[in-house]
This record gives sequence, C-alpha cells and structure tokens, in this order.
Amino acid sequence: MNSSVVSFFAEAPPYQMAVAKLTEILGFDSSVLMAFVTFFLASFVVVNVMALVGGLGTYAERKISADLQMRLGPNRVGPFGLLQFLADGVKMILKEDIIPRDADRFLFIIAPLFCLGGVFATLAVLPFSSGFTLTHLNIGVFYLLGVSSLVGVGIFLGGFSSNSKWSMLGGMRGASQIISYEVPVTLSIITIVILSGSLAFDKVIGIQGGLPHQWFFLHNPFTLISFFVFFISALAETNRAPFDLPEAESELVSGYHTEYTGMRFAFFALAEYIEVFVVCGVAVALYLGGYQVPFHLSELHFLHDTLGVPMAPARMLGQILEIGSFVTKTIALYYVVIWIRWTLPRLRVDQLMTLCWKYLTPISLFNLVGAAFWMWAFKGESVWTLLANLTNSVGGGH
Amino acid sequence: MFDNFIFLSSAALAIGGALSVVVSTNLMHSCIYLLMSLIGVSGLYVTLSADFLAATQLVVYVGGVVILMLFAIMLTAGSDNKTVNRFGIVKIPPMGNLKTYIMSLLTAGVMGCSVLKMIMNINQTTKLGELPPYSTTVEQIGTLLVTDHVLAFEISSVLLLGALVGAAVIARPRLENEVTK
Repeated sequence: MNSSVVSFFAEAPPYQMAVAKLTEILGFDSSVLMAFVTFFLASFVVVNVMALVGGLGTYAERKISADLQMRLGPNRVGPFGLLQFLADGVKMILKEDIIPRDADRFLFIIAPLFCLGGVFATLAVLPFSSGFTLTHLNIGVFYLLGVSSLVGVGIFLGGFSSNSKWSMLGGMRGASQIISYEVPVTLSIITIVILSGSLAFDKVIGIQGGLPHQWFFLHNPFTLISFFVFFISALAETNRAPFDLPEAESELVSGYHTEYTGMRFAFFALAEYIEVFVVCGVAVALYLGGYQVPFHLSELHFLHDTLGVPMAPARMLGQILEIGSFVTKTIALYYVVIWIRWTLPRLRVDQLMTLCWKYLTPISLFNLVGAAFWMWAFKGESVWTLLANLTNSVGGGH
Repeated sequence: MFDNFIFLSSAALAIGGALSVVVSTNLMHSCIYLLMSLIGVSGLYVTLSADFLAATQLVVYVGGVVILMLFAIMLTAGSDNKTVNRFGIVKIPPMGNLKTYIMSLLTAGVMGCSVLKMIMNINQTTKLGELPPYSTTVEQIGTLLVTDHVLAFEISSVLLLGALVGAAVIARPRLENEVTK
C-alpha cells in the first residue's frame, strides 16, 4: 500500500490507542473507520487551507501589482488590507446569481465545479512534507497531469455554455492553449523522471538534497533549461499573464467567465489561484528540492538522538520544518508568477502557439534526449559531483 | 469496506454516466456524461490495483479525447440553443426504420449472448476470488513495453507519426501556384 498521511499518524501511539478504544466501544475492528475519518479530516484541512491560500493569493496579487505600479493597493479592511479577500468573498456571496436566459443551464452550473474539482484533486499528491502529504501515489506526477486536465474541460464548458461570443472565444482559446502547453510541461517532467527513475513525488524529492547544489534545478545543464521550459509552460497552462488570452480584457471583456456572477465567478478565480500554488509546488518538488531541509535538520535521528528532543515532538517538529521549507520556496515562486504578470505585456494568439510548438516543444525534446545522454554518460551524477571528482583527481587525491 | 465504497461509487458513476449518455437528448450534455462514465471506469481500474492504467485513462480521455469531442461538437453543431431538436435526434421519436431495428435486434442478441457466456461461470465456482496484494505496475509495464512488446510499441509510434504527417499535410498553408493548379 502507498504511504499516506494516515500511515504517518498510524505510527504514533495515541492513534493506535484511539483505534483500540474505538474497537472496544463499537465491537468491530475500527482501523478502517479510523483511517477513513483521518483521511476525511486531513482532506478537509488541506482543502480549507488551500482555499485560504487562494484567497490570500488574490490579496497578494493586488498588493504586489500596486507595489509595481507605485500605488497603495487594498488597505482599508483589516491590518494592511489583509482581510480584503474575506470582504470580497462576502460580497460575492451576496451578489445576485445570474444565469443568462439562453445559456445551457446544466453546463453553466457544472463548469466552475470542473475547474475547482480538477484543482482540488491535484492536492491529493502535492507533497507538503514527507508525512503530511495526503497520499504518496507511486504515479503521483502522472496522476497530477491527468486530473489537472479537468480544468481545461471546465474552462471550455464555461465558455461554451454562456452562449456569448466573447465567452466562446475565451473558452476555445483556453482549451487549445491548455492542450498545447501540456506537451512541453509533460516533456520537461519526463526529463526529471528519467533522472530520478520514479514517478512518485517522495522518491523524486528524496533523491534531491536540502542545499541548492543538490537540487535537480542545478543538477546538469539540461535540467536547468528544463526548469525554465516547465515554468513558462506552467504559466500558460494556468492562464497567467503573459499568457492570459482566455480572459484578455482588452478583446474579450473577461473571456470565458464574462457571463458568470457571484460565487460561480469566484470559483473560477479561486481555482486559478490555487492552481498557481499547485503548479509552483510541483516546480518546487521536481526542481527545487521539495520539502528537503538543509543539513538534514528535519530528520528524526538528528532531532531525537543528537538534540535529545523527545520522540513525538521530534516527529512533529521535523514535519513542520519540511512544510516550512516547501511553502517558503513555493511562495517565492508564487511571487515570481505575480511579478511576471505585472511586468510583461500579453502575447498574441499566434505568438502563443509559435512559442509553444516552435520553441518550447523542440527545446524540451532536446532536453529529454540530453538528460537521457547524461544518464548514460555520467551515470546520473550531478555537475558538482563530477567537478569535485575532477578536482580531486587533478589535485592528486589518489 | 473502503474498497467496496470506491468500487460501488465508481461503478455507479460508470453505469449512470453511460445510461445518461444514451438517454440525454443534447449532444453536449452526452459528452459530459461520457466524461463522468470514463472517470468511473478509471475508478474501477483503481479498485483492480491497475494504478497506471487508471491515470492513463484520465490523461488520455479526460485531457484529450473528451476535449477533442467537445471541440468537434461545438464546431459542427449550430449555436441556436432554443430548439431541442437541433441535432435532428428528437425530430423522429423512434429514431430509425425497419432496417435499423433489425440491425439493433441482431446486435443486442450477439451482445446479450456474449455477456451471458461471461456471467455463466459465476454459478460454477462458488468460491470468492481474492485480489493479489497491491503492487505498483509502472515498472512492470515499462519493462514489458521495451522487451516483450517492443514491436507493438514501435508500430504504434509509426501510427502516431503517420497521424502527425497527415495533420501537417492537411493544415499546412497552400502556396499561390498550388491553388491555381
């Protein structure tokens, strides 16, 4: 069985005591029930925290854009305007929920749910830490690619069902863009899969280390290029500027969600912001060392044996350090995404397709072959290991 | 309990989706029901511990085939949303003539016989089957693809290359003198 958040908790004595107690009270083996409840609670916490992250993402977007344009940004609700997203949420709920008369009601209602559902499904494998990941699927990367394509369906349906020309154009652009940019994203991910030899996030992260020279980002020249290809394509897949053609305000009013109001619109926006976080998290997991903490600070034997922290707090402390490492890197990338959005102008449709098919796809194919060559020639050692070996042998270290 | 829960919900999704595809009068809605049915089938693969197959089902069908179908339907159907019979399906309630009925009866007979043949074995063995313990299938599939089934693998890549060349030929911009010829 795959390890998961349940198997992390199942090692702790209180969990086993709770299972024994429940079995005594209910009269049947309650380990499955307990696993079910733990999974439910963990999913509940993750989804809610990520919804909060999405909400804070809208705040960060407005605040950073204000910084870049020498404005103040939201500063009325709460300290530094931090509660602005809650006020927006309340406003969204109170808005009238309008469904256009000629819209396809069924598809109109279901489209935002596809977007949100696809994004939330990816959270199941997002590696927050070695213990608190919902599940360590051994096909984690592949699963993530599969469920995230639901977002494309949602955007397309949102555009089609609104029965408006602007929405329709936005939806078509969104679907074609997402399908096209899946190719370079997948090819760059395969580059990492070749080097790590696994599709599971925990194995990919386990091979990397806590310090930058141990990350896949700086492993060899091909992964360095592959990181940038992945990041650019991921921007396009999440419809972020400079690739936000599906919702280009200057041409399409608001693109695929022109006709949406209230919470339905908020679902689209929330899905976008959470997806950006997920994509940044995937980039961190694959290229930037994931949840690895430098100098093995989070490892149990260091905290427990060397520092003498008791067992239960040591486990928790290690996990918290790992979450901190992961979230810090992810938020740094999130900042870059917003920074790019408010710096670069939007591309044209033909430029978008040219970039994907004439530049990024060939580059990522070249990367794939290069990474395979690296595996064959240097047995998958990183540049730094090779350099160290070289200097050792030149310096006469027999 | 957990496996049963997953099995029942995905089986319900698969069968309910498939039924809705047939019953629905709107082609676009049918496509979405088909999507649900395919997700249900992927869930069934998970219960059979074919994890790679389940993810492939999602990547290929949800990400590719269904979006392609939606595009095709959107580009071929009219945008008039008020009439129910815009696809000409509801216009003729029985949907066919004597020839099609005979064909459908024959098809139903053949399919019913094959399903019966599969189900017949259930009565012969009363012992409940045990699924093998869960193990990952990615490595096994990868090894098999490049050893035992390398010919099929290569042939399928030739097929894909053919499709790619065909698409390029169809989509390439025509030159001036070609059009006049």
